[in-house]
Amino acid sequence: MKLCATSSVKAAPWLFLAPFLLIFGAFTAWPLARSLILACQQTFGPTNTVFVGLDNFRFLLTDPLFWTALQNTFVYALSSVTLQLPLALGLALLLNRPSLRGRTLYRLIFFSPSLVGLVFAGIIFSIIFEKRTGLVNVGLHRLFPVFDLDFPWLQNYVMPALILASLWMYVGFNMIYFLAALQNVPRELEEAAMIDGANAWHRFRHIILPEIKPVTSFVVLLSLIGSFQLFELPWALLSGPGPENRGLTIVMYLYQTGFLTNDLGYASAIGWVLAVILFTLALTQQWFNRKETRS
Amino acid sequence: MGIWIIGLIAIISTVLVFFLPRPQTQGKSFWTFAKPLYENYQPVVTRWNETRPPEERINMVHLQLQALERRLMSSFLSGTPGPDLVEVERATAGQAFRGGPQDIGLSDLTERIRKEGLLERINPPSLALWTRQGRIYGLPHDVHPVLLAYRADIVEAAGIDVSEIETWEDFSRIMAPLMADRDDQGRPKRYLLNLWETNTLAIEVLLLQAGGSLFNSDEQPTLDSDRNVHVVATLVSWIAGPARIAADAPEYTASGNSLKLQGFVIASVMPDWLGGFWKGDMPSLSGKLKLMPLPAWEKGGLRTSVAGGTMLGLPKAGRNPDLAWEFAIHLYFNPDVAVAFYGKTGIIPPIPEFWSLPAFNAPDPYFSGQPAGQLFIQQAPYVPARINSPYYNFSLACLTNAVGAVKQRALDENNFSSDFLSKTAAQELAKAQAHVRRQMERDLFVDKKE
Amino acid sequence: MNNSFNSTTSSPSPSARRLLSHTLIHSVLILAAIITLIPFAWLLASSIKTSADFFTSVFLPTGTGWGGIAWDRLTLGHYERLFLELGIARNLLNSFFISSVTALGATLAASMGGYALAKFRFTGSSIVTSIVLAALIIPAPLLLAPGYLFIYQLGLLDSYTGLLLPAMAPAFGVYLFRQAIWNSVPDEILESARIDGAGEFRIFFTLVVPLMRPMIGAFLLITFLGMWNNFIGPQVIFQSPELFPLSVSINQLKGVYSQDYGLIMAGTVISIAPVLCLFLLLQREFISGLTAGAVKG
Repeated sequence: MKLCATSSVKAAPWLFLAPFLLIFGAFTAWPLARSLILACQQTFGPTNTVFVGLDNFRFLLTDPLFWTALQNTFVYALSSVTLQLPLALGLALLLNRPSLRGRTLYRLIFFSPSLVGLVFAGIIFSIIFEKRTGLVNVGLHRLFPVFDLDFPWLQNYVMPALILASLWMYVGFNMIYFLAALQNVPRELEEAAMIDGANAWHRFRHIILPEIKPVTSFVVLLSLIGSFQLFELPWALLSGPGPENRGLTIVMYLYQTGFLTNDLGYASAIGWVLAVILFTLALTQQWFNRKETRS
Repeated sequence: MGIWIIGLIAIISTVLVFFLPRPQTQGKSFWTFAKPLYENYQPVVTRWNETRPPEERINMVHLQLQALERRLMSSFLSGTPGPDLVEVERATAGQAFRGGPQDIGLSDLTERIRKEGLLERINPPSLALWTRQGRIYGLPHDVHPVLLAYRADIVEAAGIDVSEIETWEDFSRIMAPLMADRDDQGRPKRYLLNLWETNTLAIEVLLLQAGGSLFNSDEQPTLDSDRNVHVVATLVSWIAGPARIAADAPEYTASGNSLKLQGFVIASVMPDWLGGFWKGDMPSLSGKLKLMPLPAWEKGGLRTSVAGGTMLGLPKAGRNPDLAWEFAIHLYFNPDVAVAFYGKTGIIPPIPEFWSLPAFNAPDPYFSGQPAGQLFIQQAPYVPARINSPYYNFSLACLTNAVGAVKQRALDENNFSSDFLSKTAAQELAKAQAHVRRQMERDLFVDKKE
Repeated sequence: MNNSFNSTTSSPSPSARRLLSHTLIHSVLILAAIITLIPFAWLLASSIKTSADFFTSVFLPTGTGWGGIAWDRLTLGHYERLFLELGIARNLLNSFFISSVTALGATLAASMGGYALAKFRFTGSSIVTSIVLAALIIPAPLLLAPGYLFIYQLGLLDSYTGLLLPAMAPAFGVYLFRQAIWNSVPDEILESARIDGAGEFRIFFTLVVPLMRPMIGAFLLITFLGMWNNFIGPQVIFQSPELFPLSVSINQLKGVYSQDYGLIMAGTVISIAPVLCLFLLLQREFISGLTAGAVKG
């Protein structure tokens, strides 16, 4: 099977990799390296830069806006993932029954919100969540007259509003992953369990859950990583960080400092903190996975 | 199949993009941000363009305020295309004026203004806002005094005489009967004042009226001053608690407008420019509103305030500054133009010699036939001064957040006594002051006055 | 098919139980579907209502028309205004252009790169593979500031190139294609083609690509979707309005015409309709693309 390697075959892989490597090198690797230097500078636009050493990071540690952003982002990420995934799994379980009619239609409907860009979703929800006249308050008030028509979603309950919006957007998206995973669960396992007299809950807990664990942990990681980078949804929803910076997220703060206050250096420092957080998340997930496969 | 569809889209769109090139506009570009101003500049621009060769024509572009700020700063800092003439709002000026004279992206207009003899003709406080270290960077557009606009139809139907109102205490007392109607949840069907912890406009207006301020003349932050504490504590007592008189009918939102039309709030602070917005967005309120001076904070106190401010600037990178200057003078210092603007936007010019023109005394049907121009002009000499700083917006946001924080603490502990509110306000404002201080001290690019 | 949720002995007959659970399941699904669709319905209805009607009715204005709805008060005026006065056609074109060109370029680069890593043994392949895997962790916001700086230095700010070029090197894509090619392209056909004297590029385009059709279709679509909805990239790189895609221009619409909810909603409809249509046509490819790499890898 082995031929003597001609020079064209030797060069070929590099030629194939060339477009990717060139662009990656220029627009990912080089900026990544540059960002280390940038994070140690304070800038006013791209041309005025001053080296400040680790001062950006020192300031970051005591910057109340940064800690607000961090807290908001953490709360959002953990809440939305904790709420989204069981709902997604639940829907997937319901849809997984082979005898179900209209499954394709349901799948279509549930998936469609995730096609709407976060910016557009933010714009839609900024009007739906308005006090007194918005769809949510009017609808809830009609269903439950005790509900306050003036409920200030976008002023005092920003986080719940964001989480609800994210549920609308992503439950269907995650459901698709779970559905694919469920469909890969070997039928023989389930059937054997049924013959042994196991009920639905038992089957779920001991057969389905373990089988879909890899997909679950992938979805969890993907959702967490995505949630930590939240920016466009609150930005479009609140036209900014919102009252008392209740909608301020890490990436929003990065955008504000880098492109509104024009300090690209501080923005890079924030970016590095974000990267460290995400890296830690990924490592933690790897560690959990390894623990699972070992046991 | 997806491959073919995307491929087709790519080919067609690429072809279209290259055959519909970016519009090359001749003439000079003029960026502005306020819709009523844009609409009312248009006849002037059109007439100008009719008598000029193509390269001297003015191409006016309307941008939303934040978008204008972003693009202007990008043109200063990153060299992306910028305007030849630009209207800058006070909120944007902070960023644009950062740094020393060599850093500011706008041309120094001091000599031009002096040569044309405009220095004496302009209302001094209006110039002060655009001056840094003795150099003037913008041609002022306005004075922007603030009055109180109220629903005369509702007030007079209840038999209330507003001329008896001199202070805010009078206001709460005399207008109180209007809050007597309750809904089925026991809350008032209407409130007296349009004010909320998120209503930055009203908070700033009331703060300045009361003599509070965000910066001192050395551009140092003064958020935690005693006067500011008093103002914040009082505002919180108006928006929450047993003495509440205010509710939220936000500006620039359709839902807020709907509330105003219903008479949900009786009175709103009214800078002269806001009238223009209301006229455009809520024409059905015409004849139902009247203007009165702001109730004072203390007997004999200031009865007006100031909000916003616009200047015309010539970016250093702009082309043909002489032409831009000529147009700027025409737009801002032409009495016919000033009168026409006032008619549509309600904005009075910063040129005292124009104030005696009969047009400013004309009855304004929107405000039930009152001579709105004269009412604003009467307050013009008393408009409070402001210090412009790159951190003005940030400080204002911190102060506004403090109002919200104090309100929350008061609600949590159900304590609206003036002692508690004052103490809490002092604490929150001290925090805000520290925050602004830290931010300013860190900044290496803001021009530090020695 | 056992559909019971409990194992008590005294229970109704199996067929009754099945009917109950069937109804239950469908009710839940229908409720969830309604909740999911309500914002869309509201969006559509709002885009054809006049401003006067906006607050008087939740969905469609009631009146004396068929079904109790005032059909005569509905209007396409917002759409007209967007296209004729506000130039949204340009933004629509920009969105199509940016998304499709990025999709094609990124798919080409990623498939070629994945092929190299999957089917060639060469020195440095493990290093490149590690770089690709590591790059999956790099969050895009980290590159925002230095990327902007670099694009400024290249003089590519405020140009299509400045946005398109950096988007054509997706590490995630290389990873996906590497997996897919590894799994689906047998070495033998490549070897026999080489024996026949075919050039490497010819082999790639005539043998590998046809085998990768599903993956290519899927990746094209998800890249298209990602770029269509991308806001922060064009917001930062573009300054001139004639370059703006819909994501940026609709957001600005909200700032300028903040009163005109109908207009904003119509603009949003225009922004999401093309992608929804695309999805309707190409459902299977979309979904298979998403789940590839998750379920298999």
